[in-house]
Amino acid sequence: MNGWIGRCLRVNLTEGKHSIEKIEPDLVERFLGGRGLGVKIFMDEVAPQTDPLAPDNKLIFISGPLVGTGAITGASCNVITKSSLTGALACAKMRGHFGAELKFAGFDMVIIEGKAEGPVILSIMDDRVKLVPALEYWGRSTVDTEQLFKDNLNDQWISRETFMATIGPAGERLLPLANVVNDRFLSVGGAGVGAVMGSKNLKAIAVKGQHSLQVADGNRFVQVINTLINKLNSAPLTSQSMSQWGTAFLVGLCNQKGILPQDNFSKGTLSLKNIGTEALNSAFVLRSRSCFACPVGCIKKTDFKHSAYEGRGMVPTYLAIGSLGVNCGVNDLEVIGMANMLCAEMGLDPVATGGTLATAMELVAQKALTPEELKIDLRFGNGEAMLEAIRLMSTKGGHAKRLGQGGKALAESFERPEVFMGVKGMPLAPFDPRAIQGLGLHFATCNYGPHHLYGNTFIDELLNVHEKIDPWDIEAKPQLVKEYQDTTAVMDSLGLCSWPLMGLKFKNYVPMVNSCLGTSYKAEDLLELGERIWNMERLFNMEAGFDETHDVLPDRFMKEPVTEGPAEGQVSRLQEMRPEYYRLRGWSDKGEPLPATLSALGLEK
Amino acid sequence: MARIKINHDKCTGCRHCEIACSLNHVQDTANPRRARIRIMRDGNRYYPVIAGPFVDAACTSKLFVEVDGHQYDMCGFCRASCPEKPYFIEAETGIPLKCDFCGIPPSPSCVRWCNSGALELVED
Repeated sequence: MNGWIGRCLRVNLTEGKHSIEKIEPDLVERFLGGRGLGVKIFMDEVAPQTDPLAPDNKLIFISGPLVGTGAITGASCNVITKSSLTGALACAKMRGHFGAELKFAGFDMVIIEGKAEGPVILSIMDDRVKLVPALEYWGRSTVDTEQLFKDNLNDQWISRETFMATIGPAGERLLPLANVVNDRFLSVGGAGVGAVMGSKNLKAIAVKGQHSLQVADGNRFVQVINTLINKLNSAPLTSQSMSQWGTAFLVGLCNQKGILPQDNFSKGTLSLKNIGTEALNSAFVLRSRSCFACPVGCIKKTDFKHSAYEGRGMVPTYLAIGSLGVNCGVNDLEVIGMANMLCAEMGLDPVATGGTLATAMELVAQKALTPEELKIDLRFGNGEAMLEAIRLMSTKGGHAKRLGQGGKALAESFERPEVFMGVKGMPLAPFDPRAIQGLGLHFATCNYGPHHLYGNTFIDELLNVHEKIDPWDIEAKPQLVKEYQDTTAVMDSLGLCSWPLMGLKFKNYVPMVNSCLGTSYKAEDLLELGERIWNMERLFNMEAGFDETHDVLPDRFMKEPVTEGPAEGQVSRLQEMRPEYYRLRGWSDKGEPLPATLSALGLEK
Repeated sequence: MARIKINHDKCTGCRHCEIACSLNHVQDTANPRRARIRIMRDGNRYYPVIAGPFVDAACTSKLFVEVDGHQYDMCGFCRASCPEKPYFIEAETGIPLKCDFCGIPPSPSCVRWCNSGALELVED
């Protein structure tokens, strides 16, 4: 198969054995690969009621068919499992170089089953698969683990080409906020995946190899990519904003429209003096860093001369500035950057961690939780206390360890569930759904919890790239949300990053897909595949116990209007949009896919 | 004569050039190990290295260079397709690889795909 290696590695950690299987072409035809195929295989093998941390749960690392072929932004490796934070399906989109290297190592996917007796590292190097005892790595940060493993290889040439996906101390301690990290690239939406990996005693996966990938029509493929690079270069957002500041450029825009939440979604605007792009320019020396085959390079590293940053340099992204910064009342970029780095080193998900801290801070503000109880002065705006809390949380040390169980559990333990700003147990990404209605609908209905990268409607609602849509209007929103959710499902399945949709239309990708895979898809065919994948994920979540009562936003957004700023007076009008969304999806009033919808998509209940 | 000018300050480490080279030299195949340009990495920095000739004589590049206060082993950035290291050697045949500027007139595919400005074709 073009683009594919066509092999799947199955590792049983309980028995310490592995086997190599072929990937079925007819499954690929129906589910594309990546997220789609991974979820399909996961659903076939794991019962929806499985306890996420039990050995029965499986972990699937899967790269998409376009990953590693040179298709622009083809870098995603999806990690699919049942999340220990939400209890729903989890799909961590891991960018960086791991996904491509996994394919060069000779496998499109790795299925991890069972539980090892002691800590192990799975090493897939030059066609030799082995489980390395990892006692000496246990307890180390993600970065230390990578460094030590590479040092132990004793060969500078081999270690240069090895890439690793690692969990940090947070994952080892089974914190539901734990994430999986590769080379400081935090995976997107990965809260809970790290804990599942930790429950299997799997510390890391190392990959290296020299397999080749075949492309169907090389000459055409190269031409298409030349055009796409030119297109990206002529779009202002991808050629200037993204490559200059990374996603952090959104801070200013979101603040202007009242979308950037402050103090656990209770306030709307602030001065940009300390956190805007100018502050970013003066606080850091910005240097771009790319995931595999990405012409944009939105990840920023820094050579900032600060003792704490020495050699660790990472510039905060929008997610970090929003979740770990403004939403916790912190507006010092150095502290936010530090918090983001700590998350990457400890293996925590920044969005989930930020949401949990904001919940704790609001509990302190309401005097339900006292700083004495935590032994940290955790309140809105105290950056140093926040850093301390992240350190203690990830190591389950001190009195902050109760924070590690996530915001929902924390708020419920004080009988104030309304303080937790999240859906399905996962804290909201830093976009106020009152000021951006479509994204609010997406947050409520998303299969993976409220994360904007599973349906980037803000590209049209906020940035007006393809269509000019008013963020407060609700009329066109259900259709918009459905389109973006399907598009993202397709792009994840192919292994592409969805940020370049800021400069490219989805249909621009189609020639690249066809010339690479030798298929003859049209844009509509691909979107139908996306719809099939979305519905299939919905079926799994329904069997795992999720229904329409989970497709809601926290009460604060429905009842309390925004008190100040540009979005003053707005509330989320989710209840008006949701029935229309269900109807467009072909679901019943209860949010269940109708039999006719399923049969049209070729799915079974 | 045309040369490829490398500005390692601009390199983002995306390795798109490696794939461009591989697709151009091996029919329909993407594999960084068959490319004549590789990105070497050290800490936070990336160094594109283009395959050059190897002369079977006493090696003169066993020395250390200093960039921004860091000491680097020159061997890590040496462009020779040397038998001492697994770079720039065709895996299946063992033939050493060398950059050919993608034909005459030179239009290197790596430069075409490099979007960061790290690679540039210059005439002098």
